Amino acid sequence: MKNEITLQTRREFLRRTVLGSSLAWTVPAFLANTFTALQAEAADSAIQTPTGRDANILVVLQMAGGNDGINTVVPFTNDFYHRARPTLGLKADNILKLSDSIGLHGALKGFKELFDAGQLSVIQGVGYPNPNRSHFRSTEIWQTASDSDRVEKYGWLGRYFDNACAGADPAVGVTIGNQLPQAFFAAKPKGIVFNNPQNYRFMANGAATEESYKKLNELEMSSPLPDDNSGGSIAMLPAGMPMTGGRAVDFISRTALDAQHSSDEVRAIAARVQNQSEYPASQLGTSLKLVAKLIGGGLPTRIYYVSQGGYDTHTNQLGSQQRLLGDLAESVKSFTDDLKAQGNLGRVLVMTFSEFGRRVSENANGGTDHGAAAPMFVIGNKVKAGLLGKYPSLAPADLFQGDVKYNVDFRSVYAGVLESWLKTKSLPVLGKQFAPLPVV
Amino acid sequence: MLKPISSTNWDYAKAAHLLNRAGFGGRPAEIQKLADLGLDGAVSALLDFEKIPDPTPAPDWAKPDAEQMKKIQEVNRSGTPADKKQLQQELQQTQRRRIMELRGWWLQRMVSGPRPLQEKMVLFWHGHFATSYEKVREAYFMWRQNELFRRLATGNWQQLLTEAGKDPAMLIWLDQAQSRKAHPNENFAREVMELFALGEGHYTEHDIAEAARALTGWSLERQEERYIYRPFFQDTGEKTFLGRTGNFDGDDVIQIIVSQPQAAKFITAKLWNYFAGQVPSEALAEALAANFRANGNNFKPFLRALFCSEEFYAPDIIRNQVKSPVQWLVNTVRVLESELPPPLVSWGMLRQLGQDLFAPPNVKGWDGGVTWITTNTLLTRYNDAQALVEGQLPALTAGDFGGKGAGNGQKAMKALQRLRLGGVNVEKILSPEERADKTTIVAALEKRLFQASLNSAQEQILREFLDAKTKLSNADIVTTIRLMMSTPEYQVT
Repeated sequence: MKNEITLQTRREFLRRTVLGSSLAWTVPAFLANTFTALQAEAADSAIQTPTGRDANILVVLQMAGGNDGINTVVPFTNDFYHRARPTLGLKADNILKLSDSIGLHGALKGFKELFDAGQLSVIQGVGYPNPNRSHFRSTEIWQTASDSDRVEKYGWLGRYFDNACAGADPAVGVTIGNQLPQAFFAAKPKGIVFNNPQNYRFMANGAATEESYKKLNELEMSSPLPDDNSGGSIAMLPAGMPMTGGRAVDFISRTALDAQHSSDEVRAIAARVQNQSEYPASQLGTSLKLVAKLIGGGLPTRIYYVSQGGYDTHTNQLGSQQRLLGDLAESVKSFTDDLKAQGNLGRVLVMTFSEFGRRVSENANGGTDHGAAAPMFVIGNKVKAGLLGKYPSLAPADLFQGDVKYNVDFRSVYAGVLESWLKTKSLPVLGKQFAPLPVV
Repeated sequence: MLKPISSTNWDYAKAAHLLNRAGFGGRPAEIQKLADLGLDGAVSALLDFEKIPDPTPAPDWAKPDAEQMKKIQEVNRSGTPADKKQLQQELQQTQRRRIMELRGWWLQRMVSGPRPLQEKMVLFWHGHFATSYEKVREAYFMWRQNELFRRLATGNWQQLLTEAGKDPAMLIWLDQAQSRKAHPNENFAREVMELFALGEGHYTEHDIAEAARALTGWSLERQEERYIYRPFFQDTGEKTFLGRTGNFDGDDVIQIIVSQPQAAKFITAKLWNYFAGQVPSEALAEALAANFRANGNNFKPFLRALFCSEEFYAPDIIRNQVKSPVQWLVNTVRVLESELPPPLVSWGMLRQLGQDLFAPPNVKGWDGGVTWITTNTLLTRYNDAQALVEGQLPALTAGDFGGKGAGNGQKAMKALQRLRLGGVNVEKILSPEERADKTTIVAALEKRLFQASLNSAQEQILREFLDAKTKLSNADIVTTIRLMMSTPEYQVT
């Protein structure tokens, strides 16, 4: 029954706390006001936002560093490919054929199995106009879904939360890690962050200490309304410096409440739910293993965010990419196997992205330099499986400064996911109308 | 305009704000001393730090290691593969031990060194130039860069930027050491404009390529572990860079960059954000830049104007900055008059909280501000607070110490179990009068920890916590301190 309580929305949680056990202490005036205002607001909102317990779930998987897309989805019959990559070009024995001319890197065995089972869609040549080769700027563009010459304050998932998840539980967005990705930056931030469920708790030397901690951290906000725009947004300014709307302490209070609210729940689920497949011991494997537990345990989450780093392969790329892609495919396959055994695979979609692909020609150090467009993978048993989009031309005359040109704008993929998977209008989230790519 | 604040407005709260931001805060007596000095005196006490002797000795290994170089050469020349492997392991262990020692050495300077503002600036420059040991792999180079930041902490921008570019750690970090006339490496050329001096959008890809050509002579003398100019690597052709044409070299590139109007605006906005905790408005950014230019791009007079400005003491600036993990740790040790935990523990905490010294996450450094705070890092701060006040180690797992910095996780765990933290001595920080009853205890601790009052509801919760104890013990006061540190308010300064 405890679960039922902790699954309430933030507002209900606050209300219950105020009206419940904590009434023993005097409710300060501003909080009483807050409560009254919240109750009035809550009474008006009869709409129940769907949660991750029954609705579709999106898992965003970041491949940080700029994955070499050309050696991930390989045009193995293309002469330009072999000419540009005399040492890095993959040989037939390290390619898993998807068609007569396109194959996956040999390390992606798990992805090949998913492809054959109709559960993997490969979107080819994804990018955006006027590509930027800076890791930070290009990551920011993907995270905020902005045009390359515009700086957006909020992330695309943050705008999804702002537009489609009003009043939802803070655990509507979960990042496995330590840092909130910029994609989650929002006017009304949602989302909890943790990496180790065992340590995700307040450790107290006694019940009285814990009770006092809870009380001290329920006193939310110097501004009157917790969901008011003025208190505690998180945004990135053009100068690359993060800021909050309102006072910093309001943002922290909000985070404190979310932490308190979610930690019992997360630990309970992690302890209760058993994984039903074996995962690699890598960081990504461990992250997805945890996500599978949280999905199985019914955390009301719509968006999970996990990441894998190390793709910035300027030198000696062959070995490192082999290892990274092997880890990727194995971890994701374990995850889908787990979800299938749980009976939840039909509700979960995994989408990968990397800030850019890499230069067509290999460099002098057995690696590749920062490039532009690259493939994305979308995984799940409802996906439109197969090769989507068109493989970008590698002919030197078709390249721009040595990089392939994009065929699919990544925001079309976001639009497709938003419209047909998360069932929400993409325009308010992306700020512009992009033709939704039918990924499911 | 930067308006000078009236010195008659100077009081304890403003002195506390100054010491928190220009340093790492301090105990009430230190703040009172600054309050008594008056505005100009207080700012000078912090800023004119070269007048204060700092006898801190360098680590004993902080010099070029000719012995080590000879050994490497010998083994490379005539050693077996097994010899090479063994030497490599030895070197790695030595370096790891040294970088950990260096972390403790620097943190201790922040905690108890006589020049807090100098260390605060070193921390700024470390975040700004964001060089990581993870690539440099030589503790001596990291120390050397740290000393460069200390020597030029409040110096001239062009000199600092030039010397930072020629610094061995930087030459390795951004690949300048590998740049040759035939293949100019663009890494440093790009970042010096994008991240260090101008910001995106104030140069073109062509400027980067030309700057890279001009910088080709900047190189590293591996043997002697120092910078060297190599005429043979230098591209001596004509370059067109930021609208000017000539046979430029690396020094010219830096000089041209610093002379851009945008340069003053970029670095002063970042400094304002570091000290004031806000992104400056457009008008303020212009005023800051104008002041910096008028002061010949020298940081010291600029900082004096900043710390004496009305804007710096505005209500939306005071107690509205998220403490960085380093600020949080060093400040805690200072206000509690306790001991800095051993380097391994301090490092473990800072790493978990997202600020691993000498290992920033990438060339952009730490984003800082509210991004320090997530549900995870907040709970970690609350739990680390318990360790710091009670003198018990937090429940770290082997995984926290399994990273590259500590070697074998198990070994580190065992070493960890032998470590002890100091904890807080209640009788040292509270007088018998202050310990008299719950009201005086809470009030004295508020002054010490927050330099301000909590709201009345929070005060009441704390008094109730103390009320419930039949006989008030020092341990209860320790827990009260921990509870005060486990609030959103303690995370800001």
